[in-house]
Amino acid sequence: MHIELPEILETIRMTEVEHFDIRTVTMGINLKDCISDSLPRLKENIYEKLMRTASEHVATAEKVEAQYGISIANKRISVTPIALVGDGYYAEDFVEIACVLDKAADNLGVDYLGGFSALVQKGFSKGDLGLIRAIPEALTQTKHVCSSVNVATTKAGINMDAVYLMGQIIKETAERSADDDGIGCAKLVVFANAPEDNPFIAGAFHGVSEPDVVINVGISGPGVILRAVRESYQTDFPTLADNIRRMAFKITRAGEFVGKTVARLQNIPYGIVDISLAPTPMPGDSIADILKAMGLEDVGAPGTTAALALLNDAVKRGGLMASSHVGGMSGAFIPVSEDQGMIDAARTGHITLEKMEAMTSVCSVGIDMVAVPGDTSVEAISGLIADECAIGVANSKTTAVRVIPVPGKTIGEEADYGGLLGVAPIMPLSTLNNAHFIHRGGRIPAPVKGINN
Amino acid sequence: MSSLTENEIRRIAEMAVRQLEGHATPANVEKVVKSALNRLDGGAPKTERMKRVPGGTHAGGRIIITAFGANSIGILAGLTSELAALRCDIVDLSQKIMQEFFTIMILVDSQASEFPFETIKQRMVEKGESFNLKVIVQHEDIFKTMHRV
Repeated sequence: MHIELPEILETIRMTEVEHFDIRTVTMGINLKDCISDSLPRLKENIYEKLMRTASEHVATAEKVEAQYGISIANKRISVTPIALVGDGYYAEDFVEIACVLDKAADNLGVDYLGGFSALVQKGFSKGDLGLIRAIPEALTQTKHVCSSVNVATTKAGINMDAVYLMGQIIKETAERSADDDGIGCAKLVVFANAPEDNPFIAGAFHGVSEPDVVINVGISGPGVILRAVRESYQTDFPTLADNIRRMAFKITRAGEFVGKTVARLQNIPYGIVDISLAPTPMPGDSIADILKAMGLEDVGAPGTTAALALLNDAVKRGGLMASSHVGGMSGAFIPVSEDQGMIDAARTGHITLEKMEAMTSVCSVGIDMVAVPGDTSVEAISGLIADECAIGVANSKTTAVRVIPVPGKTIGEEADYGGLLGVAPIMPLSTLNNAHFIHRGGRIPAPVKGINN
Repeated sequence: MSSLTENEIRRIAEMAVRQLEGHATPANVEKVVKSALNRLDGGAPKTERMKRVPGGTHAGGRIIITAFGANSIGILAGLTSELAALRCDIVDLSQKIMQEFFTIMILVDSQASEFPFETIKQRMVEKGESFNLKVIVQHEDIFKTMHRV
């Protein structure tokens, strides 16, 4: 099999110029076998298992990077939802567990560790409540630990008690990190229909039905797709979709290959590749720029949702052809602070939260890395979560909210988190009163389409 | 069983204490520990201690070396003689000079080379730097993966 020079040059252009990289190689680790009725023993078991299992993870990923010339931006770990591992313990105990996870992540050299999580779509166990109440303190005391709470599924409906509680937890987490513009909230996500094999942070956790250890991969590559779209400037929609699909095939293949190689070298199973396009604040690495290149003046223009739907579907077509095991989120991410085009559109007011909400019905994640005024009420945040959950539950898809009520700041100001987290312009959220609705309590019943047997 | 963690040793000791209850002779202890080891091995699949990542691996055959930069005399000779010194066999080579810009792709077989991939990569990059070239060294598989169904 002969490789042509243009093919080699294209690959090099993708990695050197267009920021194509593997966004994350995430090792999922089961911690169920660490459960103990003694807290010191539980902590010791968790630390020991993480150090034993992931000791070679970073070194292996770096080796694969060098060998194939494709950079792996993040090496991460996801663990069994800690609410399960520590069920029966109290909030202060969960803070201690979070500190152990952080220490292990630090010593292993990984960027983030996801799985300080609870699945409460139908109700709370004692451990779930303990973990959720520990989130503000845990995220303040730790550097690498990320937290997620699943509050709704298409099968169970929406746990509105959890939605209200998470509104409070988000506010509290922001206030604990007020000096850093509420950065704690960047490590906390509220989900509907959370996938169990998601390699992306902050929502990664190692689902209960996963094997003991597994490698999942998330690709990145808006820059590469942007070129495909720009080169299709004069074409009609089918050709545009086709060109995106072909490019998505190539980057998914690279992602799968890298994931399989990292897994093989460590002698552990390979799980899935998540074909979400993940942007960074780097110029040219933006989902918003892709939508603009399709012919919109800016994101937020009428047609934005259709453009995103086309993009997301074309990426899926290419990705599904490229890999047998596509999983995780597998859609386009549109985190405001992490995407230069979205930052610009939020600054000018071209994109609003309401338009973003519509966009989340055709792509993955949802209201992601959005800063709102610090005086936003708990009920307003809970309402935003409930709306996203409704979109996810009614459409049998994942949606999520990662919102930051920036303490002491308001419309017209910005929160600068630096690095990959970027800059978040404060966006207006409706201040109409929804308190009576949010305070009702109980569970919004599962939709009829959830009963599909 | 290659190595035991402290936890596993503690569990074996606890099992032995429970079973022996005061009848501890060297033969009895050995029997109990052996059966405990078997049970640990045969029990629920545990996380094996991860195989160490081999320090310097052969890339398992073919490597693609791409170099770009301003043209100057002796680039090709420099790169190929370095490859010869590394005992890499050149399988295919394609070179283009566009205006003053030099591009080259060399497909080499490193099977016969005693040098690990990391060394080949490092020496080729250094050689390139002496000519002001950017040299990228990658295993061939990444291109096959991306460009072939």
